[in-house]
Amino acid sequence: MNRLFTAGDLPPVTLDVDVLVGRYADRPGPGGEPREVTGALRANGIARAAVASLRAALFDAPSGNDEAAALAGPAVVPVGGLDLRDPLGAEREVERLAGRGFRAVRLFPDEQRVEPDFPAVRHVARRAAEAGLVILTGGDVRRWWRPMRGTTVVFLDTHFYHLGDFVVAARDEPGFHTSTRLLNSPDALETIAEHVGVRRLLYGSRTPFHEPAVPRLRLARSGLAPADVAAVAGGNARRILELPA
Amino acid sequence: MIIDVHAHWGPWFFSMEVGEVATNLAVMDRYGIDLAVVSATEAVIYDVAAGNRAMARVLAGSDRLLGYLTVNPRRLDDAERDLRELLPTGRFVGVKIHTDYTGSPVTSPRTRAALELVAAYDLPALVHTWDATPLDLAQACADIPGLRAIAGHMGANGWRHAVEAANAVDRLWLEPCFSHTEAGRFAAVAAAVDPGRLLFGTDATLIDPAAAYGAVLAADLDAELAERVAWRNAAELFRLDVD
Repeated sequence: MNRLFTAGDLPPVTLDVDVLVGRYADRPGPGGEPREVTGALRANGIARAAVASLRAALFDAPSGNDEAAALAGPAVVPVGGLDLRDPLGAEREVERLAGRGFRAVRLFPDEQRVEPDFPAVRHVARRAAEAGLVILTGGDVRRWWRPMRGTTVVFLDTHFYHLGDFVVAARDEPGFHTSTRLLNSPDALETIAEHVGVRRLLYGSRTPFHEPAVPRLRLARSGLAPADVAAVAGGNARRILELPA
Repeated sequence: MIIDVHAHWGPWFFSMEVGEVATNLAVMDRYGIDLAVVSATEAVIYDVAAGNRAMARVLAGSDRLLGYLTVNPRRLDDAERDLRELLPTGRFVGVKIHTDYTGSPVTSPRTRAALELVAAYDLPALVHTWDATPLDLAQACADIPGLRAIAGHMGANGWRHAVEAANAVDRLWLEPCFSHTEAGRFAAVAAAVDPGRLLFGTDATLIDPAAAYGAVLAADLDAELAERVAWRNAAELFRLDVD
């Protein structure tokens, strides 16, 4: 047994905001079958996850979102994927998803090669916010903060290099939150907690494409109090998604 | 025991407060890292001569830090002087070359000359690698007799190239630090290369060791390989008497 690289202190994750099913056609990697993804979540101490479909992101939003909706249950909160390459379809999909009881939509700017100043982005973000949906978005926070103003949003790709930009933007935007996935510098979590509050931090893993152990380990070894760790590991996500504990 | 073969001391230009030696030691303690081989951020990013001398002063006061003497391939005169003046301190055990911050790709004549200098001193060289550049470093190992090199970040997203590079020569080692933690990356590399070529590196205090430690943890290594990654390979490469 390997006793050198172990961690007995990883916190349970009660809600992960960044999980995908499906596959990328243009890269190697896991197949993203739902059963494998939920198995990986269980194996990594993640009880529940906000799950979006790559089928929705890359090929066909309605059928991909139906695929995500079919996974709804104790371990899965379905998230609707929107295709910003088709703003007219995206505004229809926002209405359909809100009517079906979805709590959140997800944007995939890198995969769809969409820039933050494209008219579709601001328009769809507004429609989602008007429909009461939380937005989960990829993209560089230094550029994607602007069209997200006034929304409740989780930036899924905030890198610790850009942490300062997130903080100064979030000071003016109470709806701005960030995933912890790439906040893996020695003081990133603590800096955000100090400047805009621990309520802005949400655990995100991007299972099955990234190692869920890394943000869990970083959270475990942070200087945050146990109640704050629990909030980051799921409480904050439940609050903004208005889900019961 | 765990030895971190890719660490730094000093401040960074991002919104982070990690420049004190105390931060190095605290971050090491978070993950049970006993010993770290560090380079001065000032030497890597800006002023190699001043940074190396500041590094020497820090190393004199810490028994848990060993040093990389940073070489800027654009300043080979400085490199020769720094090696001559600072190696006698006994606290520098390798050389750090950052190809991006110095604008000096591994394939450039100046970096090749720097690597020849390092080989002449019989020191391991930690070289920043990204994408396909581990293959360039492997070629340098093949061309320069005695050169022992560590492919820093094992090519980052280019880890598949790092596997090919490590398998092409017998004097190239890999360490995994990278802030983007693709699932299965370290396990795939560990399964594909000589177990004697794997090292543990974190990029602390730029990156928290959670990134590399978590990646190795996820690879679920057997006990023998874990020991090699954690310290045994590093102790052999740097000729450390850690027993």
